[in-house]
Amino acid sequence: MVKSERKNRTYNRRKLILLFGICSLMLVGLSARLFWLMVFRADYYQELAEDLHQRERSIKAARGRILDAKGVTLASNRTVCTVSVVHSQIRDPEQVIAALSRELQLPEETVRKRVEKYSSIERIKANVDKETGDRIRALELAGVKIDEDFKRYYPYGSLASKVLGFTGSDNQGIIGLEVKYDSYLQGSNGTILTLTDARGIELSDAGEERIEPVPGNDLVVSLDYNIQTYAQQAALRVLEEKQAEYVSVLVLNPKTGEIQACVNVPEFDLNDPYNLDDYLERTGRGGAELSREEIQNLRNQMWRNQSINDTYEPGSIFKVVTAAAALEKGVVTLQDTFSCPGFRIVEDRRIRCHKVRGHGTETFVQAIENSCNPVFIDIGQRVGAEDFYGYFRQFGLMEKTGIDLPGEANIIVHKLENIGAVELATMSFGQSFQITPMQMAATVSAIVNGGVRVTPHFGVEIRSPEGKCLKRFTYGEKQGVVSEQTSETMRYLLEKVVSEGGGKRAYIEGYRIGGKTATSQTLPRGTGRYISSFVGFAPADDPEVLAMCIICNPQGVYYGGTIAAPVIRDVLENILPYLGVNLSIEKTDEKAYNAD
Amino acid sequence: MGCESRKTDLAVGRQTRDGGYMAGPDSTGKEKTRRQEPLDYSLVLVVLILVGFGLVVLYSTSAWNGQVKFADKAYYLKKQFLATALGLTAMYVVSRMDYHRLKALAVPGYVFSLLLSTAVLFFGDEYNGSRRWLSLGPLSFQPAEFAKLAVIVLLSFVISGRMKKITTLKQMFLVMVWILPIVGLVGTNNLSTAIIIMGIAVCLIFTASPGYGHFLLLGGLGIGFLGVFLSVESYRLERLAIWRNPEAYEKGYQTMQGLYAIGSGGLFGTGYGASLQKLGFVPEAQNDMIFSIVCEEFGLVGAVLLIGLFLLLVWRLLMIALHVPDLSGCLLAAGIMGHIVIQVILNIAVVTNTIPNTGITLPFVSYGGTSVLFLLAEMGLALSVSRNVRQEP
Repeated sequence: MVKSERKNRTYNRRKLILLFGICSLMLVGLSARLFWLMVFRADYYQELAEDLHQRERSIKAARGRILDAKGVTLASNRTVCTVSVVHSQIRDPEQVIAALSRELQLPEETVRKRVEKYSSIERIKANVDKETGDRIRALELAGVKIDEDFKRYYPYGSLASKVLGFTGSDNQGIIGLEVKYDSYLQGSNGTILTLTDARGIELSDAGEERIEPVPGNDLVVSLDYNIQTYAQQAALRVLEEKQAEYVSVLVLNPKTGEIQACVNVPEFDLNDPYNLDDYLERTGRGGAELSREEIQNLRNQMWRNQSINDTYEPGSIFKVVTAAAALEKGVVTLQDTFSCPGFRIVEDRRIRCHKVRGHGTETFVQAIENSCNPVFIDIGQRVGAEDFYGYFRQFGLMEKTGIDLPGEANIIVHKLENIGAVELATMSFGQSFQITPMQMAATVSAIVNGGVRVTPHFGVEIRSPEGKCLKRFTYGEKQGVVSEQTSETMRYLLEKVVSEGGGKRAYIEGYRIGGKTATSQTLPRGTGRYISSFVGFAPADDPEVLAMCIICNPQGVYYGGTIAAPVIRDVLENILPYLGVNLSIEKTDEKAYNAD
Repeated sequence: MGCESRKTDLAVGRQTRDGGYMAGPDSTGKEKTRRQEPLDYSLVLVVLILVGFGLVVLYSTSAWNGQVKFADKAYYLKKQFLATALGLTAMYVVSRMDYHRLKALAVPGYVFSLLLSTAVLFFGDEYNGSRRWLSLGPLSFQPAEFAKLAVIVLLSFVISGRMKKITTLKQMFLVMVWILPIVGLVGTNNLSTAIIIMGIAVCLIFTASPGYGHFLLLGGLGIGFLGVFLSVESYRLERLAIWRNPEAYEKGYQTMQGLYAIGSGGLFGTGYGASLQKLGFVPEAQNDMIFSIVCEEFGLVGAVLLIGLFLLLVWRLLMIALHVPDLSGCLLAAGIMGHIVIQVILNIAVVTNTIPNTGITLPFVSYGGTSVLFLLAEMGLALSVSRNVRQEP
């Protein structure tokens, strides 16, 4: 029986062995597959797995400070804390809720909701000041985490807000110098690498890898806290007095282009840059419902730096340029006489002088003192459109100044082929084209400093956190945009404007001041909106400082000579002694400029 | 014929029991106790090593999940340990039993498994979207695991009793008809187990049929059926697409996580307990994907050793099947062997993304109480068969 079955079953055995063989081969094949995966593909999968397991926590790098020319800190960092709770580590939720709502001054329900939420880590409050953070830490509550972080802090609030700019939450500059010098200021964040499980919870027994953050470098700017403050005070005073829309005051060294003050009041609070409340109130829009887009537009408006981002018609200050062009071309001398009947007919247009009765017969010197439009129409014609444009280019007006702030506006001007007699006439006294106030100041600087076109700028050098100079910025200069002769003549003429002409109110006893006033109606004409301005420099024979004031839409009296010149007088009076500019005790005798 | 053989076998069984009792572990009378072979101790050893290793790996793999879900690292281990203890008891009891007595139970057992599989459709507990568990108080039970054993027993006795060998197509289909109800019932919500049951049936038919032609035909039919089956429902085709490029699909997540674990293991692994992928990255790492964690913690060396261990187990089962004199014993051992080897191959093939993803557990290692209980019972059955093995001359 057994024997027969055994015989019968040879095929069973054969089949079973075959089956086993097939299965063994399959298992060997799978082992080979494993070998492939675990030896040849190991690096690939390991890397992917590591990406998955590692969490990078970044350690914010301290952003570099912004220091003024004298080392005063204009922007720095404050340590702030982020308070969060780790749900799984909380032992006494009630105590945590009570303590946190008390210390952070948050409603209990808010804290309760976050504490009782089943999440790996829940943020309770960010930007908590360090003292509060330290107090909470001292309570040693299980499950409460205090992370320290840096927040940009501007000790002087709104001072030079539109120049300095501010940063976003990611330590990135948003406007102003903070953007321009972002790469120097930023530093590089450090990281903590930890291993986590699939829920993102760090494994306590796995060590952490740290890459220390590198703090950003300090930026030294040419702004001077004291000058900026003086200038801001003067600007605020006139803003208030004249109920103006805005007032800009620029103070710069005409020889180097270093800007010592750049005021554009109203400024905004750099420590709360998104707050529109003051702005809305000022512009009479308080309480209105605003769309997101409107809010963003209003903020952009609020943040605008009018000296750089906006253009205006320079008006009579531009006569400095026309005069310099005419002198360069040699088409006018100081003794040339002109007559002003109170207007000039140009083609079919009657262009009036601001003095309706006219200035009568006057020399070129007197014409500048009087800021007489018809005379400048005449000399503009003498220069001619093509050459006038050539001088525009030569003086650097056709390009941006190259200032180290983002968003500088370019000149808005007719094309040469479109300039007829009327356009040339109006351009001669600074109308029918637009430039930025900074461009005007830079161009005047070049004309009075002996003919060197300098780049107006703020950035001076980059310093390491330890105070070592890492990089000094150099800026382009263009020599000889006007001849020394022309420059000297212009200084003489502009001093005359202050000592005897329309700029009288900028005169300071004991100093030699040069300057030029301007009053220009804004576009569209006939709305009664004016821009009054004044540019002044001292000492008139060798300018160390150039200051310009622009008052937009003043109420009441709007003549630049009447309202803008005193602002510059005020500023110069304060800063000249501070800058160590000596009193010119005795006015040197007038030189004879009449030599041909 | 069948009756006679049964008688003989029964006698053999008794004799073996006596022989085991009298001869002790090292039988002195080798030549005279040809049929008194005691238990296959090497099989016992391999099973115990596998079970022990399984528990050790299970603890490492499930500790995180247990901690997260039940605040108890040993949650899964405890449950598995209980089932294993129960299983070892079952193995012992079954191994003492004469397997021929199962003949009377083959059909009732099968009908019982059909009933259970029907019941689970209506009263089952749903877990991860499938109704697979029947609950009885604190105990839960997976009828599909029982079905595998029931099918092995049923087919072994159906083939050995009625046909002896499968020579005609008709016989082959007759056998298949027997298991169609269970395949249908189990397959409605547990396709993988249905495939395993089919696989076991194919193994048994293959073993019992002298020729190859029918089998080739059957294989061809199977492939055709698979093709139709896959194309009927688009999600199955999607599964194919995921298989070919798991990184490009969201549903390839589990596969990718398994591959990360395998790749992370390298040659020697990260060490016991040091797997990171088990920390929730491989979902339910203690279940189907447990082999990937074995790879991560024990490396290629450990993984190949485990495969070797399974091969050893299968080899022992083969030896039993080859040397047991009666067809029913042979088929029982062959079915058990087929069951183990199919699950091992399919599981490892899925984990290594060699074939498209389907949920198959790794015998003795994956978490699952019912599975380990019936696997150990099957081992008991194999041991019972092994006592009938003739000594090789």
